[in-house]
Amino acid sequence: MIMKMYAKTIHLSLLALSAALLAACSGPQVRYGDAKAVETVNANYGSTDLQIIAEAMTRSLLQSKAISGSKDAPIVTLADVKNKTSEYIDTRVITDKIRTQLMKSGQVRFAVSVTEMQSQTDELKRQNQSGLYKNSTIAKTGNMQGAQYRIEGSIASIVKNTKDVKDVYYVFNLNLINNESGLLEWADEKEIRKTATR
Amino acid sequence: MKKRFVRLQLANEGCQLMQLLKKSFLVCAGVSLVILTGCASKPPAALPEQAVLGRVPADPPKNPVIDAEGLKAESKSIAVTDIYFKKEGKNLVFIEETRQKTNNNITSTITPKTIEVDADKADASALMGGANSSQFPVKFTNLADPKATAPVITPVDPQTSSASSNSSDAETQTSKKSGYESKMEYGELRYLANPIRGLLIKSGYKVVQAKPTVSMPNQGDEYFDIVKRIKAGDFSDADYVLYGVLTEVSNTDNVSDIPGTKSTSHQMTFEITVDFNIVDTKTTQIVASFIASGEGKDVQIDGRDTGYKPSTAKLMKLASLDLAEDVRKNLADQNFITNNPGSAGYQRNLKRRLDDDATTLKVYK
Repeated sequence: MIMKMYAKTIHLSLLALSAALLAACSGPQVRYGDAKAVETVNANYGSTDLQIIAEAMTRSLLQSKAISGSKDAPIVTLADVKNKTSEYIDTRVITDKIRTQLMKSGQVRFAVSVTEMQSQTDELKRQNQSGLYKNSTIAKTGNMQGAQYRIEGSIASIVKNTKDVKDVYYVFNLNLINNESGLLEWADEKEIRKTATR
Repeated sequence: MKKRFVRLQLANEGCQLMQLLKKSFLVCAGVSLVILTGCASKPPAALPEQAVLGRVPADPPKNPVIDAEGLKAESKSIAVTDIYFKKEGKNLVFIEETRQKTNNNITSTITPKTIEVDADKADASALMGGANSSQFPVKFTNLADPKATAPVITPVDPQTSSASSNSSDAETQTSKKSGYESKMEYGELRYLANPIRGLLIKSGYKVVQAKPTVSMPNQGDEYFDIVKRIKAGDFSDADYVLYGVLTEVSNTDNVSDIPGTKSTSHQMTFEITVDFNIVDTKTTQIVASFIASGEGKDVQIDGRDTGYKPSTAKLMKLASLDLAEDVRKNLADQNFITNNPGSAGYQRNLKRRLDDDATTLKVYK
Protein backbone atom coordinates (compact mmCIF):
# COMPACT_ATOMS: atom_id res chain seq x y z
CA MET A 1 0.00 0.00 0.00
CA ILE A 2 2.75 2.37 0.99
CA MET A 3 4.69 1.35 -2.09
CA LYS A 4 1.67 2.12 -4.25
CA MET A 5 1.27 5.57 -2.75
CA TYR A 6 4.94 6.24 -3.14
CA ALA A 7 4.87 5.32 -6.88
CA LYS A 8 1.82 7.51 -7.43
CA THR A 9 3.60 10.50 -5.85
CA ILE A 10 6.62 9.91 -8.10
CA HIS A 11 4.36 9.78 -11.19
CA LEU A 12 2.61 13.00 -10.30
CA SER A 13 5.92 14.75 -9.60
CA LEU A 14 7.29 13.68 -12.97
CA LEU A 15 4.14 14.87 -14.67
CA ALA A 16 4.38 18.27 -13.00
CA LEU A 17 8.07 18.55 -13.88
CA SER A 18 7.36 17.69 -17.55
CA ALA A 19 4.63 20.29 -17.71
CA ALA A 20 6.95 22.88 -16.19
CA LEU A 21 9.74 22.00 -18.67
CA LEU A 22 7.37 22.19 -21.61
CA ALA A 23 6.12 25.57 -20.48
CA ALA A 24 9.72 26.81 -20.09
CA CYS A 25 10.77 25.57 -23.56
CA SER A 26 7.93 27.41 -25.28
CA GLY A 27 9.79 30.83 -24.76
CA PRO A 28 8.52 34.36 -23.92
CA GLN A 29 5.14 35.48 -25.04
CA VAL A 30 5.22 38.13 -27.81
CA ARG A 31 2.37 40.39 -28.69
CA TYR A 32 2.03 43.49 -30.83
CA GLY A 33 1.03 46.69 -29.15
CA ASP A 34 -0.24 50.00 -30.39
CA ALA A 35 2.75 52.13 -31.49
CA LYS A 36 0.71 55.23 -30.72
CA ALA A 37 -0.29 54.08 -27.24
CA VAL A 38 0.85 56.21 -24.35
CA GLU A 39 4.04 54.81 -22.87
CA THR A 40 4.51 55.38 -19.13
CA VAL A 41 7.14 52.81 -18.17
CA ASN A 42 9.24 55.46 -16.50
CA ALA A 43 9.81 59.23 -16.59
CA ASN A 44 12.63 59.12 -19.11
CA TYR A 45 12.31 60.37 -22.66
CA GLY A 46 10.15 57.91 -24.59
CA SER A 47 8.18 57.19 -27.74
CA THR A 48 5.17 59.23 -26.66
CA ASP A 49 7.39 62.28 -26.12
CA LEU A 50 8.82 61.84 -29.61
CA GLN A 51 5.35 61.64 -31.13
CA ILE A 52 4.02 64.63 -29.19
CA ILE A 53 6.97 66.80 -30.16
CA ALA A 54 6.96 65.83 -33.84
CA GLU A 55 3.24 66.34 -34.22
CA ALA A 56 3.18 69.70 -32.47
CA MET A 57 6.16 71.04 -34.38
CA THR A 58 4.92 69.87 -37.78
CA ARG A 59 1.49 71.42 -37.24
CA SER A 60 3.00 74.71 -36.16
CA LEU A 61 5.58 74.79 -38.93
CA LEU A 62 3.01 74.15 -41.65
CA GLN A 63 1.00 77.12 -40.38
CA SER A 64 4.02 79.42 -40.50
CA LYS A 65 4.05 82.26 -43.02
CA ALA A 66 7.30 81.04 -44.57
CA ILE A 67 5.74 77.71 -45.54
CA SER A 68 2.03 78.40 -46.01
CA GLY A 69 2.63 81.76 -47.72
CA SER A 70 5.13 80.41 -50.21
CA LYS A 71 4.04 80.09 -53.84
CA ASP A 72 6.24 77.04 -54.51
CA ALA A 73 7.07 74.45 -51.91
CA PRO A 74 10.25 75.86 -50.33
CA ILE A 75 13.40 73.75 -50.16
CA VAL A 76 14.45 73.01 -46.60
CA THR A 77 17.32 71.07 -45.09
CA LEU A 78 17.77 69.54 -41.69
CA ALA A 79 20.50 70.87 -39.46
CA ASP A 80 21.43 69.83 -35.93
CA VAL A 81 19.07 69.46 -33.02
CA LYS A 82 21.28 69.69 -29.97
CA ASN A 83 20.68 67.37 -27.05
CA LYS A 84 21.16 69.46 -23.91
CA THR A 85 19.62 66.90 -21.57
CA SER A 86 21.53 64.48 -19.35
CA GLU A 87 19.93 61.53 -21.17
CA TYR A 88 20.97 59.92 -24.41
CA ILE A 89 18.43 61.09 -26.98
CA ASP A 90 18.85 60.44 -30.68
CA THR A 91 17.69 63.85 -31.87
CA ARG A 92 17.99 62.76 -35.48
CA VAL A 93 14.93 60.56 -34.94
CA ILE A 94 12.93 63.64 -33.94
CA THR A 95 13.95 65.66 -37.00
CA ASP A 96 13.46 62.67 -39.29
CA LYS A 97 9.94 62.24 -37.96
CA ILE A 98 9.21 65.91 -38.47
CA ARG A 99 10.67 65.72 -41.97
CA THR A 100 8.50 62.73 -42.86
CA GLN A 101 5.35 64.48 -41.71
CA LEU A 102 6.29 67.68 -43.55
CA MET A 103 7.04 65.74 -46.73
CA LYS A 104 3.65 64.03 -46.51
CA SER A 105 1.99 67.43 -46.41
CA GLY A 106 3.51 68.25 -49.82
CA GLN A 107 4.15 71.84 -48.76
CA VAL A 108 7.89 71.44 -48.27
CA ARG A 109 10.72 69.90 -50.27
CA PHE A 110 13.87 68.69 -48.57
CA ALA A 111 17.45 68.89 -49.76
CA VAL A 112 19.92 66.34 -48.46
CA SER A 113 21.28 67.26 -45.07
CA VAL A 114 24.93 67.26 -44.02
CA THR A 115 24.66 63.74 -42.63
CA GLU A 116 23.47 62.45 -45.99
CA MET A 117 26.12 64.25 -48.05
CA GLN A 118 28.62 61.41 -48.14
CA SER A 119 26.26 59.10 -49.97
CA GLN A 120 25.21 61.96 -52.26
CA THR A 121 28.81 62.82 -53.24
CA ASP A 122 29.66 59.14 -53.63
CA GLU A 123 26.77 58.71 -56.04
CA LEU A 124 27.70 61.81 -58.06
CA LYS A 125 31.31 60.68 -58.20
CA ARG A 126 30.24 57.24 -59.36
CA GLN A 127 28.07 58.61 -62.14
CA ASN A 128 30.30 61.47 -63.31
CA GLN A 129 33.81 60.20 -62.82
CA SER A 130 33.71 56.49 -63.39
CA GLY A 131 33.17 56.85 -67.15
CA LEU A 132 30.66 54.02 -67.07
CA TYR A 133 27.48 55.92 -67.64
CA LYS A 134 25.79 57.27 -70.75
CA ASN A 135 26.39 61.00 -70.82
CA SER A 136 22.77 62.00 -71.36
CA THR A 137 21.59 60.07 -68.31
CA ILE A 138 24.22 61.25 -65.85
CA ALA A 139 23.12 63.27 -62.82
CA LYS A 140 25.63 66.07 -63.36
CA THR A 141 27.88 67.48 -60.70
CA GLY A 142 27.12 71.08 -59.86
CA ASN A 143 23.34 70.91 -60.25
CA MET A 144 22.31 70.21 -56.67
CA GLN A 145 19.73 72.63 -55.35
CA GLY A 146 20.52 74.75 -52.35
CA ALA A 147 18.02 74.91 -49.51
CA GLN A 148 16.26 78.19 -48.83
CA TYR A 149 15.75 77.33 -45.18
CA ARG A 150 17.29 75.09 -42.55
CA ILE A 151 15.64 73.57 -39.52
CA GLU A 152 17.64 73.48 -36.33
CA GLY A 153 16.86 73.38 -32.63
CA SER A 154 17.55 71.90 -29.26
CA ILE A 155 16.05 69.76 -26.54
CA ALA A 156 16.76 70.55 -22.88
CA SER A 157 15.49 69.10 -19.61
CA ILE A 158 15.19 69.88 -15.93
CA VAL A 159 15.09 66.82 -13.66
CA LYS A 160 14.17 66.89 -9.97
CA ASN A 161 14.22 63.89 -7.67
CA THR A 162 12.97 63.19 -4.19
CA LYS A 163 12.79 59.84 -2.41
CA ASP A 164 9.39 59.06 -3.89
CA VAL A 165 8.96 61.49 -6.75
CA LYS A 166 10.86 62.12 -9.98
CA ASP A 167 9.86 65.18 -11.96
CA VAL A 168 11.17 65.68 -15.50
CA TYR A 169 10.54 68.78 -17.61
CA TYR A 170 11.49 68.75 -21.30
CA VAL A 171 11.48 71.72 -23.61
CA PHE A 172 11.98 71.16 -27.32
CA ASN A 173 12.81 74.19 -29.39
CA LEU A 174 12.80 74.32 -33.21
CA ASN A 175 13.77 77.17 -35.55
CA LEU A 176 13.37 77.76 -39.27
CA ILE A 177 16.21 79.97 -40.54
CA ASN A 178 16.47 81.63 -43.94
CA ASN A 179 19.88 80.53 -45.26
CA GLU A 180 20.41 83.58 -47.44
CA SER A 181 19.33 86.34 -45.11
CA GLY A 182 20.11 84.59 -41.84
CA LEU A 183 16.71 85.65 -40.54
CA LEU A 184 14.75 83.46 -38.15
CA GLU A 185 11.53 82.93 -40.09
CA TRP A 186 9.73 80.74 -37.56
CA ALA A 187 10.33 79.34 -34.06
CA ASP A 188 8.23 77.26 -31.70
CA GLU A 189 8.66 75.17 -28.60
CA LYS A 190 6.96 72.20 -26.99
CA GLU A 191 7.03 71.62 -23.26
CA ILE A 192 6.46 68.22 -21.63
CA ARG A 193 6.26 67.50 -17.89
CA LYS A 194 6.41 63.97 -16.53
CA THR A 195 6.16 62.98 -12.89
CA ALA A 196 6.88 59.47 -11.61
CA THR A 197 5.88 58.45 -8.10
CA ARG A 198 6.66 55.24 -6.24
CA MET B 1 -77.23 132.69 -67.42
CA LYS B 2 -73.94 133.79 -66.00
CA LYS B 3 -73.28 130.25 -64.74
CA ARG B 4 -73.92 128.83 -68.25
CA PHE B 5 -71.48 131.29 -69.81
CA VAL B 6 -68.75 130.28 -67.34
CA ARG B 7 -69.37 126.58 -68.10
CA LEU B 8 -69.07 127.18 -71.88
CA GLN B 9 -65.85 129.17 -71.38
CA LEU B 10 -64.30 126.37 -69.27
CA ALA B 11 -65.28 123.74 -71.91
CA ASN B 12 -63.69 125.86 -74.61
CA GLU B 13 -60.43 126.24 -72.63
CA GLY B 14 -60.33 122.46 -72.00
CA CYS B 15 -60.61 121.80 -75.73
CA GLN B 16 -57.77 124.19 -76.48
CA LEU B 17 -55.55 122.57 -73.83
CA MET B 18 -56.21 119.11 -75.28
CA GLN B 19 -55.31 120.28 -78.77
CA LEU B 20 -52.10 121.82 -77.45
CA LEU B 21 -51.14 118.59 -75.72
CA LYS B 22 -51.91 116.61 -78.86
CA LYS B 23 -49.73 118.90 -80.97
CA SER B 24 -46.78 118.80 -78.56
CA PHE B 25 -47.03 114.96 -78.42
CA LEU B 26 -46.89 114.75 -82.20
CA VAL B 27 -43.91 117.11 -82.36
CA CYS B 28 -42.01 115.08 -79.73
CA ALA B 29 -42.72 111.82 -81.53
CA GLY B 30 -41.51 113.30 -84.81
CA VAL B 31 -38.27 114.59 -83.32
CA SER B 32 -37.64 111.20 -81.66
CA LEU B 33 -38.12 109.41 -84.96
CA VAL B 34 -35.70 111.75 -86.70
CA ILE B 35 -33.06 111.17 -83.99
CA LEU B 36 -33.52 107.39 -84.09
CA THR B 37 -33.21 107.21 -87.87
CA GLY B 38 -30.10 109.43 -87.68
CA CYS B 39 -28.42 107.14 -85.14
CA ALA B 40 -29.24 104.03 -87.13
CA SER B 41 -27.99 105.27 -90.47
CA LYS B 42 -24.49 106.50 -89.60
CA PRO B 43 -22.24 106.00 -86.59
CA PRO B 44 -21.02 109.03 -84.71
CA ALA B 45 -17.93 110.39 -86.39
CA ALA B 46 -14.78 109.83 -84.33
CA LEU B 47 -12.99 112.97 -83.47
CA PRO B 48 -9.38 113.18 -84.52
CA GLU B 49 -7.08 112.42 -81.60
CA GLN B 50 -5.57 115.86 -81.60
CA ALA B 51 -9.01 117.44 -81.43
CA VAL B 52 -9.86 115.73 -78.14
CA LEU B 53 -9.50 118.35 -75.52
CA GLY B 54 -6.98 117.54 -72.74
CA ARG B 55 -5.33 114.52 -74.45
CA VAL B 56 -1.69 114.94 -75.36
CA PRO B 57 -0.35 112.68 -78.13
CA ALA B 58 2.19 110.14 -76.80
CA ASP B 59 5.86 110.82 -77.46
CA PRO B 60 7.54 108.42 -79.83
CA PRO B 61 9.73 105.91 -77.92
CA LYS B 62 13.19 107.30 -77.24
CA ASN B 63 14.92 103.95 -77.43
CA PRO B 64 14.49 101.86 -80.54
CA VAL B 65 12.38 99.18 -78.90
CA ILE B 66 12.07 96.22 -81.22
CA ASP B 67 8.60 94.87 -80.62
CA ALA B 68 6.82 91.98 -82.30
CA GLU B 69 5.00 94.17 -84.80
CA GLY B 70 8.14 96.00 -85.70
CA LEU B 71 9.95 92.75 -86.30
CA LYS B 72 7.12 91.45 -88.42
CA ALA B 73 7.25 94.54 -90.58
CA GLU B 74 10.99 94.58 -91.02
CA SER B 75 13.79 92.59 -89.47
CA LYS B 76 16.65 94.78 -88.36
CA SER B 77 20.12 93.59 -89.13
CA ILE B 78 22.97 93.53 -86.67
CA ALA B 79 26.67 92.83 -87.04
CA VAL B 80 28.37 91.13 -84.13
CA THR B 81 32.11 91.53 -83.95
CA ASP B 82 34.42 89.05 -82.29
CA ILE B 83 35.45 90.05 -78.80
CA TYR B 84 38.24 92.63 -78.91
CA PHE B 85 41.09 92.45 -76.50
CA LYS B 86 44.03 94.58 -75.55
CA LYS B 87 46.93 92.82 -73.91
CA GLU B 88 49.53 94.84 -72.16
CA GLY B 89 52.89 93.11 -72.10
CA LYS B 90 56.03 94.42 -70.51
CA ASN B 91 59.50 93.41 -71.53
CA LEU B 92 62.29 93.64 -69.07
CA VAL B 93 65.37 94.95 -70.84
CA PHE B 94 68.93 94.85 -69.65
CA ILE B 95 71.64 96.58 -71.71
CA GLU B 96 75.33 96.28 -71.12
CA GLU B 97 77.54 98.58 -73.18
CA THR B 98 81.30 98.31 -73.36
CA ARG B 99 83.24 101.11 -75.00
CA GLN B 100 86.81 100.74 -75.92
CA LYS B 101 88.85 103.81 -76.75
CA THR B 102 92.04 103.09 -78.59
CA ASN B 103 93.96 106.19 -79.60
CA ASN B 104 91.31 108.07 -81.62
CA ASN B 105 89.07 105.07 -82.34
CA ILE B 106 86.02 104.27 -80.18
CA THR B 107 84.39 100.87 -80.47
CA SER B 108 81.14 100.14 -78.69
CA THR B 109 79.65 96.74 -77.95
CA ILE B 110 76.03 96.63 -76.77
CA THR B 111 74.64 93.42 -75.34
CA PRO B 112 70.84 93.68 -74.92
CA LYS B 113 68.86 91.11 -73.01
CA THR B 114 65.10 90.99 -73.12
CA ILE B 115 63.04 88.84 -70.80
CA GLU B 116 59.25 88.86 -70.85
CA VAL B 117 58.14 89.04 -67.27
CA ASP B 118 55.59 90.80 -65.18
CA ALA B 119 57.53 94.05 -64.93
CA ASP B 120 55.90 95.27 -61.75
CA LYS B 121 56.81 92.13 -59.89
CA ALA B 122 60.32 92.07 -61.35
CA ASP B 123 60.82 95.71 -60.47
CA ALA B 124 59.70 95.23 -56.91
CA SER B 125 61.68 92.03 -56.59
CA ALA B 126 64.86 93.64 -57.88
CA LEU B 127 64.51 96.66 -55.66
CA MET B 128 63.91 94.56 -52.62
CA GLY B 129 66.82 92.31 -53.30
CA GLY B 130 64.66 89.47 -54.51
CA ALA B 131 65.17 86.88 -57.19
CA ASN B 132 65.92 89.38 -59.95
CA SER B 133 68.19 91.60 -57.91
CA SER B 134 71.38 89.82 -58.90
CA GLN B 135 70.37 89.68 -62.55
CA PHE B 136 69.25 93.29 -62.71
CA PRO B 137 71.24 95.15 -60.10
CA VAL B 138 70.37 98.65 -61.32
CA LYS B 139 67.24 100.60 -60.43
CA PHE B 140 64.62 100.22 -63.13
CA THR B 141 63.85 103.01 -65.53
CA ASN B 142 61.15 103.33 -68.11
CA LEU B 143 62.81 102.90 -71.46
CA ALA B 144 59.89 104.58 -73.17
CA ASP B 145 60.98 107.82 -71.53
CA PRO B 146 63.62 109.51 -73.79
CA LYS B 147 65.21 111.27 -70.82
CA ALA B 148 65.76 108.01 -69.05
CA THR B 149 67.30 106.45 -72.10
CA ALA B 150 69.68 109.27 -72.99
CA PRO B 151 73.19 107.90 -73.45
CA VAL B 152 74.93 108.22 -70.14
CA ILE B 153 78.32 106.65 -69.76
CA THR B 154 79.24 105.88 -66.24
CA PRO B 155 82.87 106.79 -65.62
CA VAL B 156 84.63 103.79 -64.31
CA ASP B 157 87.20 104.08 -61.61
CA PRO B 158 90.13 102.00 -62.78
CA GLN B 159 91.14 101.31 -59.21
CA THR B 160 87.88 99.73 -58.12
CA SER B 161 86.16 98.37 -61.21
CA SER B 162 87.09 95.04 -62.59
CA ALA B 163 85.01 95.74 -65.69
CA SER B 164 87.36 98.41 -66.99
CA SER B 165 91.00 98.59 -67.77
CA ASN B 166 93.20 101.51 -68.50
CA SER B 167 96.53 101.47 -70.16
CA SER B 168 98.62 104.15 -71.76
CA ASP B 169 96.94 103.86 -75.17
CA ALA B 170 93.56 102.15 -74.46
CA GLU B 171 90.60 102.82 -72.20
CA THR B 172 87.57 100.57 -71.57
CA GLN B 173 84.28 101.83 -70.15
CA THR B 174 81.35 99.69 -69.20
CA SER B 175 77.83 100.91 -68.54
CA LYS B 176 74.77 98.96 -67.55
CA LYS B 177 71.18 99.96 -67.90
CA SER B 178 67.97 98.09 -67.25
CA GLY B 179 64.32 98.89 -67.38
CA TYR B 180 61.06 97.87 -68.98
CA GLU B 181 59.34 98.68 -72.20
CA SER B 182 55.59 98.41 -72.62
CA LYS B 183 54.17 96.47 -75.49
CA MET B 184 50.49 96.57 -76.44
CA GLU B 185 48.85 93.79 -78.32
CA TYR B 186 45.43 94.20 -79.93
CA GLY B 187 43.30 91.46 -81.41
CA GLU B 188 40.00 89.61 -81.54
CA LEU B 189 39.01 86.52 -79.61
CA ARG B 190 37.32 84.12 -81.97
CA TYR B 191 34.49 81.70 -81.13
CA LEU B 192 33.21 83.48 -78.02
CA ALA B 193 30.67 85.58 -79.90
CA ASN B 194 28.91 82.78 -81.77
CA PRO B 195 26.36 81.97 -79.03
CA ILE B 196 25.54 85.69 -78.92
CA ARG B 197 24.95 85.66 -82.67
CA GLY B 198 22.71 82.64 -82.15
CA LEU B 199 20.53 84.35 -79.58
CA LEU B 200 20.15 87.41 -81.80
CA ILE B 201 19.04 85.18 -84.68
CA LYS B 202 16.49 83.57 -82.36
CA SER B 203 15.28 87.03 -81.40
CA GLY B 204 14.45 87.85 -85.00
CA TYR B 205 17.49 89.85 -86.07
CA LYS B 206 19.34 89.32 -89.28
CA VAL B 207 22.91 88.80 -88.25
CA VAL B 208 25.51 89.90 -90.75
CA GLN B 209 29.14 88.93 -90.71
CA ALA B 210 31.56 91.63 -89.62
CA LYS B 211 34.95 91.97 -91.25
CA PRO B 212 37.75 90.96 -88.94
CA THR B 213 39.98 93.75 -87.71
CA VAL B 214 43.70 93.38 -88.17
CA SER B 215 45.93 95.28 -85.79
CA MET B 216 48.59 97.49 -87.34
CA PRO B 217 52.18 97.87 -86.16
CA ASN B 218 52.37 100.30 -83.24
CA GLN B 219 48.60 99.96 -82.86
CA GLY B 220 46.93 102.22 -80.30
CA ASP B 221 43.48 102.39 -78.74
CA GLU B 222 42.04 103.59 -82.05
CA TYR B 223 41.70 99.86 -82.68
CA PHE B 224 38.44 100.11 -80.72
CA ASP B 225 37.14 103.06 -82.78
CA ILE B 226 33.91 101.42 -83.94
CA VAL B 227 32.57 104.57 -85.61
CA LYS B 228 35.62 104.65 -87.87
CA ARG B 229 34.95 101.03 -88.82
CA ILE B 230 31.26 101.74 -89.45
CA LYS B 231 32.19 104.59 -91.77
CA ALA B 232 34.73 102.37 -93.48
CA GLY B 233 31.90 99.95 -94.27
CA ASP B 234 33.22 97.02 -92.25
CA PHE B 235 29.67 95.99 -91.30
CA SER B 236 28.03 96.25 -94.74
CA ASP B 237 24.46 97.53 -94.34
CA ALA B 238 23.84 96.42 -90.74
CA ASP B 239 21.48 98.61 -88.73
CA TYR B 240 23.34 97.92 -85.49
CA VAL B 241 26.78 96.76 -84.45
CA LEU B 242 27.27 94.80 -81.26
CA TYR B 243 30.86 94.91 -80.14
CA GLY B 244 32.54 93.82 -76.95
CA VAL B 245 35.91 94.53 -75.44
CA LEU B 246 37.40 91.93 -73.14
CA THR B 247 37.77 93.36 -69.65
CA GLU B 248 39.26 90.45 -67.76
CA VAL B 249 39.94 86.75 -68.05
CA SER B 250 40.65 84.66 -65.01
CA ASN B 251 41.42 81.04 -64.32
CA THR B 252 41.00 79.67 -60.85
CA ASP B 253 41.81 76.28 -59.42
CA ASN B 254 40.53 75.68 -55.92
CA VAL B 255 40.15 72.68 -53.67
CA SER B 256 37.74 72.76 -50.76
CA ASP B 257 36.37 70.25 -48.29
CA ILE B 258 32.78 69.08 -48.66
CA PRO B 259 31.20 69.39 -45.19
CA GLY B 260 29.89 66.15 -43.77
CA THR B 261 32.07 64.03 -46.03
CA LYS B 262 35.65 62.84 -46.33
CA SER B 263 35.73 64.12 -49.91
CA THR B 264 37.06 67.31 -51.42
CA SER B 265 35.73 69.37 -54.27
CA HIS B 266 38.22 70.38 -56.95
CA GLN B 267 36.83 73.36 -58.85
CA MET B 268 38.43 74.74 -61.97
CA THR B 269 36.84 77.94 -63.23
CA PHE B 270 37.37 79.98 -66.38
CA GLU B 271 35.72 83.36 -66.21
CA ILE B 272 35.49 86.16 -68.75
CA THR B 273 34.10 89.65 -68.39
CA VAL B 274 33.28 91.69 -71.47
CA ASP B 275 32.20 95.30 -71.90
CA PHE B 276 29.48 95.45 -74.59
CA ASN B 277 27.99 98.29 -76.60
CA ILE B 278 25.42 98.35 -79.39
CA VAL B 279 25.79 101.22 -81.82
CA ASP B 280 23.18 102.41 -84.29
CA THR B 281 25.07 102.61 -87.56
CA LYS B 282 22.91 105.42 -88.91
CA THR B 283 23.18 107.78 -85.96
CA THR B 284 26.24 106.28 -84.17
CA GLN B 285 24.11 106.43 -81.03
CA ILE B 286 24.83 103.82 -78.36
CA VAL B 287 21.48 102.08 -77.94
CA ALA B 288 22.56 99.51 -75.34
CA SER B 289 25.58 99.30 -73.08
CA PHE B 290 26.41 96.80 -70.37
CA ILE B 291 29.03 94.48 -68.87
CA ALA B 292 28.43 90.75 -69.13
CA SER B 293 30.35 87.85 -67.72
CA GLY B 294 30.50 84.14 -68.38
CA GLU B 295 31.76 81.31 -66.27
CA GLY B 296 32.81 77.83 -67.24
CA LYS B 297 33.25 75.53 -64.27
CA ASP B 298 34.40 71.97 -63.96
CA VAL B 299 33.98 70.27 -60.62
CA GLN B 300 35.63 67.00 -59.71
CA ILE B 301 35.06 65.20 -56.44
CA ASP B 302 38.45 64.26 -55.00
CA GLY B 303 39.96 65.57 -58.25
CA ARG B 304 43.21 66.65 -56.62
CA ASP B 305 43.86 63.12 -55.39
CA THR B 306 43.28 61.62 -58.83
CA GLY B 307 45.39 64.24 -60.62
CA TYR B 308 42.47 65.25 -62.80
CA LYS B 309 43.13 67.84 -65.50
CA PRO B 310 40.16 69.82 -66.83
CA SER B 311 39.27 70.20 -70.48
CA THR B 312 39.99 73.78 -71.53
CA ALA B 313 37.70 73.40 -74.55
CA LYS B 314 34.81 72.40 -72.31
CA LEU B 315 35.42 75.32 -69.96
CA MET B 316 35.59 77.72 -72.92
CA LYS B 317 32.31 76.43 -74.33
CA LEU B 318 30.56 76.71 -70.98
CA ALA B 319 31.93 80.22 -70.46
CA SER B 320 30.80 81.39 -73.91
CA LEU B 321 27.31 79.95 -73.40
CA ASP B 322 27.07 81.57 -69.99
CA LEU B 323 28.30 84.86 -71.45
CA ALA B 324 25.59 84.70 -74.14
CA GLU B 325 22.96 84.09 -71.46
CA ASP B 326 24.13 87.14 -69.53
CA VAL B 327 24.10 89.18 -72.76
CA ARG B 328 20.53 88.03 -73.39
CA LYS B 329 19.43 89.20 -69.94
CA ASN B 330 21.09 92.58 -70.40
CA LEU B 331 19.65 93.07 -73.88
CA ALA B 332 16.18 92.19 -72.60
CA ASP B 333 16.61 94.63 -69.69
CA GLN B 334 17.48 97.38 -72.14
CA ASN B 335 14.53 96.52 -74.42
CA PHE B 336 16.72 95.45 -77.29
CA ILE B 337 15.31 91.97 -77.55
CA THR B 338 12.15 90.28 -76.33
CA ASN B 339 12.32 88.31 -73.10
CA ASN B 340 11.56 84.98 -74.73
CA PRO B 341 13.87 84.58 -77.66
CA GLY B 342 12.89 80.98 -78.11
CA SER B 343 9.18 81.49 -78.72
CA ALA B 344 7.72 84.35 -80.74
CA GLY B 345 11.08 85.63 -81.92
CA TYR B 346 12.00 82.20 -83.12
CA GLN B 347 8.72 81.89 -85.04
CA ARG B 348 9.24 85.24 -86.72
CA ASN B 349 12.77 84.37 -87.62
CA LEU B 350 11.71 81.02 -89.00
CA LYS B 351 9.02 82.71 -91.07
CA ARG B 352 11.56 85.17 -92.42
CA ARG B 353 13.82 82.32 -93.49
CA LEU B 354 10.97 80.45 -95.13
CA ASP B 355 10.02 83.62 -96.99
CA ASP B 356 13.50 83.76 -98.50
CA ASP B 357 14.18 82.38 -101.94
CA ALA B 358 14.34 78.61 -101.50
CA THR B 359 16.63 78.12 -104.48
CA THR B 360 19.49 79.92 -102.80
CA LEU B 361 21.36 78.34 -99.96
CA LYS B 362 21.92 80.91 -97.29
CA VAL B 363 24.07 80.35 -94.25
CA TYR B 364 23.04 82.43 -91.28
CA LYS B 365 25.86 82.99 -88.85
